[in-house]
Amino acid sequence: MGEKGSTQTLIGGSEADKPRLKALGVGVYDPGFARPLAAMMHRQLLRFRYARSRLVNAILFPLVWLIFFGLGWSAAFNMAGGLARRLFGGLEYLEFLAPGIVAMSVFTGGFGSGLGVIWDREFGYLKEVLVSPAPRPALILGRILGDSLVALFQGFVMALLVSLVAGFPGPVGFVLELIAAYMAALASSSLGTLIALKMRSPEGFHMVVNLIMMPMLFISGAFYPVTPLPSWLKALAYINPLYYAVDLSRGLVYGVHNTPLLLDAIGLAAVTAASLALVVKEFSRIYIA
Amino acid sequence: MSSANEYAIVALGLRKRFGELEAVRGVSFKVRYGEVYGFLGPNGAGKSTTVGMLITLIKPTGGEAFVAGYSVVREPVEVRRRIGVVFQDPTVDRDLTAIHNMLLHARIHGVPSRIAEERAWELLEMVGLEEHAYRPLRDYSGGMIRRFEIARSLLTNPRVVFMDEPTIGLDPHARTGVWDVIRELKRRGVTVFLTTHYMDEADKLCDRLAIIDHGRIIAEGTPSQLKSKVAGDTLYVRVEDGGVARLKRLLARYGEVKDAGNGLLVLVANDAPRLLPEIISEAQREGVRILETRYTRPSLDDVFLLLTGRRLRDEGGDWRFWGRRVARRLL
Repeated sequence: MGEKGSTQTLIGGSEADKPRLKALGVGVYDPGFARPLAAMMHRQLLRFRYARSRLVNAILFPLVWLIFFGLGWSAAFNMAGGLARRLFGGLEYLEFLAPGIVAMSVFTGGFGSGLGVIWDREFGYLKEVLVSPAPRPALILGRILGDSLVALFQGFVMALLVSLVAGFPGPVGFVLELIAAYMAALASSSLGTLIALKMRSPEGFHMVVNLIMMPMLFISGAFYPVTPLPSWLKALAYINPLYYAVDLSRGLVYGVHNTPLLLDAIGLAAVTAASLALVVKEFSRIYIA
Repeated sequence: MSSANEYAIVALGLRKRFGELEAVRGVSFKVRYGEVYGFLGPNGAGKSTTVGMLITLIKPTGGEAFVAGYSVVREPVEVRRRIGVVFQDPTVDRDLTAIHNMLLHARIHGVPSRIAEERAWELLEMVGLEEHAYRPLRDYSGGMIRRFEIARSLLTNPRVVFMDEPTIGLDPHARTGVWDVIRELKRRGVTVFLTTHYMDEADKLCDRLAIIDHGRIIAEGTPSQLKSKVAGDTLYVRVEDGGVARLKRLLARYGEVKDAGNGLLVLVANDAPRLLPEIISEAQREGVRILETRYTRPSLDDVFLLLTGRRLRDEGGDWRFWGRRVARRLL
């Protein structure tokens, strides 16, 4: 720190001074893109390690659906016999539900990422990040990648639990299911973050997220097929990343799907890319006022 | 802009308007490298908004500023590479440990990891927190968090450090701790720009300071220059009722005397420490029994009173508070 005084006249605004300054390396660093991205990603993983309640919560929520919703309806549909089987593409209801539950747990976990942004603003950490020279896209992408990795881990645990109830889909199906779920998590992390950037309070965030997430869950095809739905609802399903993720993983695991699998993959990639682009654009506004 | 190269900070007519409210109304000043420069003013005077503009988070609606030689408007990233910031409210990840917070900061700012680790420990030691490095920051007290944040702001070896109200909300002990750290920075030649509404803080820490009120700089100089604007020291002498008239005559030789009642006389004059013994011995010679004496030197508060007709400590619930809330919400 002692070199300050001797080099101060070199720290100048003129173009000629800048190369000399760099050569001296007096505490002027270039963060680049990858390091801040990795740092923010690492931070989300560290935070997860320190907050176990989130893990418990993320597993309990879908598990409650699987048990109280899945087992209940499964029993009811068994009464309907063959008719119900036809509705679910020849699958047992629990089998039909299983890929959806995995995608859902990852998807809802991703939305929680937005809540982290709200708390970061509340506790001021957002400012610490915004005043850094790191590129804003690197910061927000790192964060979303980290959060979706956490969500993926939750999905992994969930997929194991679901396998116990609905049967193991085989290693390939298991992995493919998780990849589809990860794409959905990227999309939901982006959407959650986007909402968080527009919201001021945690309460407002919860309200909007529930308002958006619940319909997305229900018209995702996770709980019931979207085929018999009125066309305006079906149209909504086609901009729903979770719909593509569920259809894709159900197709990959059981060979039962509504849309061609390639279209599912493209649709999922497109919706995910669009949400990522939106959130990067929103976060990259230079000034906070 | 030749002067932009010689100074750590140059502000030229900075302005910021939030809707109807103009929080900063044309502020100009220069801060030399190595200087501790203060913004002293009441809540809502525009201090935080000015800092916000200098650290490139708030877009000025008028004027221009250069930090470490770079334009805050045209080269914000170059400015950010050269500054350290301690915000008014904590900006740490409370769930992570001090050392994790440090190393994250280093990586986000591009400090190479071998340098970062070494410097992180050195700085934690400087602020006396090395023993608490592995504790999550939610276990830290307000003063510890503030010291941690000062240490963190130095990790990049910045040219200029901004501190917005570094001791607000801290108890006296913690405040002293923060002051010690700021003095240490001064010793190491770091340029510090700090805002405060505590006059004693500005007086003790700043080489030069600007007094800011309603978004404008109303006076600037060294603390002693500013205090010399106030006529002199204030002496208080209390005597037995019978002696009031005689003492009044005696004191009138030195300056204007006011009778504050209950035998208390108030005199404004220069050099109270020399004057007081003289007054006491004069009074004894005249047979007046003095019960109590004291004097106060002019404070920056007196300067503020002289310039604005208000005390710094007065914090009325007027429109300025709205401005403060706006600035705090943004920063």
